Amino acid sequence: MRAFLANKLALVGSFITGFVLLAVVIGPWLSPYSPTDADFLALLAPPSLAHPFGTDSFGRDVLTRVLYGARVSLVVSASGVLAAALLGCSAGLISAYFGGWSASILMRISDLLFSFPSFVLALFLVIVLGFGATNIAASIALVYLPLFARLARNMALVVKEEAWVQAAHLMGQSTFSILGREILPNIAAPLFVQFALGVAFGIVIEAGLSFIGLGVQPPNPSLGTIMADGREYFQRAPWVLTLSGVAISIALLGLNLLSDGIRDVMDPKLKARL
Amino acid sequence: MGGTAVSLFRASRRLGGVILIAFLGAVLVFFVMRAGHGDPALSALGDQATPEAIEAFHRRWGLDAPLPVQFWRWLSSALIGNFGTSMTVAGGVPVGQLIASRLPNTLFIGLYALLIAVTISLAAGTIAALRHGRLIDTVATSGAVLGISMPDFWLAYVLIYLLALGAGIFPSYGFVSPGISLAGSIYSGFLPALAVAAPMAAAFTRMLRTALIETLHRDHVRVARSLGYSGAFIFVHYVFRNALIPYVTVIGLQVRYLLGGTVVIERIFGIPGIGALMVDAAFARDYAVVQACALTFLVCVLTVNYVVDLICSALNPRSA
Repeated sequence: MRAFLANKLALVGSFITGFVLLAVVIGPWLSPYSPTDADFLALLAPPSLAHPFGTDSFGRDVLTRVLYGARVSLVVSASGVLAAALLGCSAGLISAYFGGWSASILMRISDLLFSFPSFVLALFLVIVLGFGATNIAASIALVYLPLFARLARNMALVVKEEAWVQAAHLMGQSTFSILGREILPNIAAPLFVQFALGVAFGIVIEAGLSFIGLGVQPPNPSLGTIMADGREYFQRAPWVLTLSGVAISIALLGLNLLSDGIRDVMDPKLKARL
Repeated sequence: MGGTAVSLFRASRRLGGVILIAFLGAVLVFFVMRAGHGDPALSALGDQATPEAIEAFHRRWGLDAPLPVQFWRWLSSALIGNFGTSMTVAGGVPVGQLIASRLPNTLFIGLYALLIAVTISLAAGTIAALRHGRLIDTVATSGAVLGISMPDFWLAYVLIYLLALGAGIFPSYGFVSPGISLAGSIYSGFLPALAVAAPMAAAFTRMLRTALIETLHRDHVRVARSLGYSGAFIFVHYVFRNALIPYVTVIGLQVRYLLGGTVVIERIFGIPGIGALMVDAAFARDYAVVQACALTFLVCVLTVNYVVDLICSALNPRSA
């Protein structure tokens, strides 16, 4: 923990991530505007003190919409990646521990999912499942499933040979207790790094799908739908698209720095691998 | 001679694995597509279509046969190059012809973006590693973190705003196919390629810098230095070559993000590529076209990864 606090990247990353989370949780309450009610006296107003991000073609305050939209985007992305982490880790741990044909089937499936361009896979699943927030979360989950399965499996294969795991086995601990108490805590940090990176890229997937009209349906804002709106009148009011994109970048920057920092702390030699 | 035979054997075994994955991909895409809701007959004929008309549509396109039969028909004709006919998005046009006319545009943008990303990252990564800890290293690493934190489609609009609408240097919309004019496609494809390339360049730079710094501190480099070889010689022969393996591996891993990125970028710039086609076909529920697009993307990624694998084993003979 002290190493974590001494690491500048980790500190800046957690500060930005914390700020984004705080803004998303309490921001909408602080805003005097509604994210969906139109105000025809303030159509496409440029950024000002009253509207720091300006207003859109319905006169809605863009900052308020970004705060509400970020809630939707963050929940969609985080729940998708969380589902992927839970399922993927279970599959990876089980296949590492038991091996055999279940492991090889699992690895073939993950090879297959891993060979599609990530956005194309998400797009394909949303086409099949239908549009909307839940289905985007499900498709983000499927994009990340093979990644977590591989990561958990590869690390568990190493850890399971360690002496303390063998000792736990000899002391008669049940398989599930060994997986949960001995192996999982020792591979948790890299999984968390992958989780943070996954949430960051999940936000981009959600935004991309909503941006081409296959995502969260209006009038409910998500970061992608706000950007898609902004695209319609980009020449007259560039601030809607530009500033909502800046908001996404800040969230991504926080998550990227945080995961870089954790990785540095965990393994000082392996600085910033990807 | 024996070594060549072994690596040929390895290469062909890997190729077998690639073909297996491509086949599994075809199975997945076919059955998942049909498990989804929605009926192509409804999007072709409209919601008011009579049951008789829908049935006739199903019979005409072979949708009334059992699924395994449909799959076999599709796969067996796909193997001889017939990918079916577009039902709705481009009614009556063979899918193979659609893909063949669109694929060069996507590949052009993809390769163009890859070229930009590799050029930027080779320069930035090398300079940052050689000036490790100095100001220029900090600038390069901060730029790289910013680069991976920008959604590419957002960057596309910023580029349009600054360089197309603002400075008027590049067109903001439209694309000249490389088949019509190569110069025209290099010019009109620059902004889209740059938007796709930026996050890649950032990721590649980070990887190359890390790999170079790690290699610079290895024993064999120290020995070479103590033997009095020149810095440039050591860098080219002992450092760069070793750092290339993780660098090339990352390029292979990032190709799936690169090709994914082209989908939205093609929509923004109006580039008639595979990604734009897939989205159009998605809205029209054109099974055959969506399937063919998804599989084309899969084959592209598999091909690149296969080539990357071959390059890596050429760079590092021990791994064979």
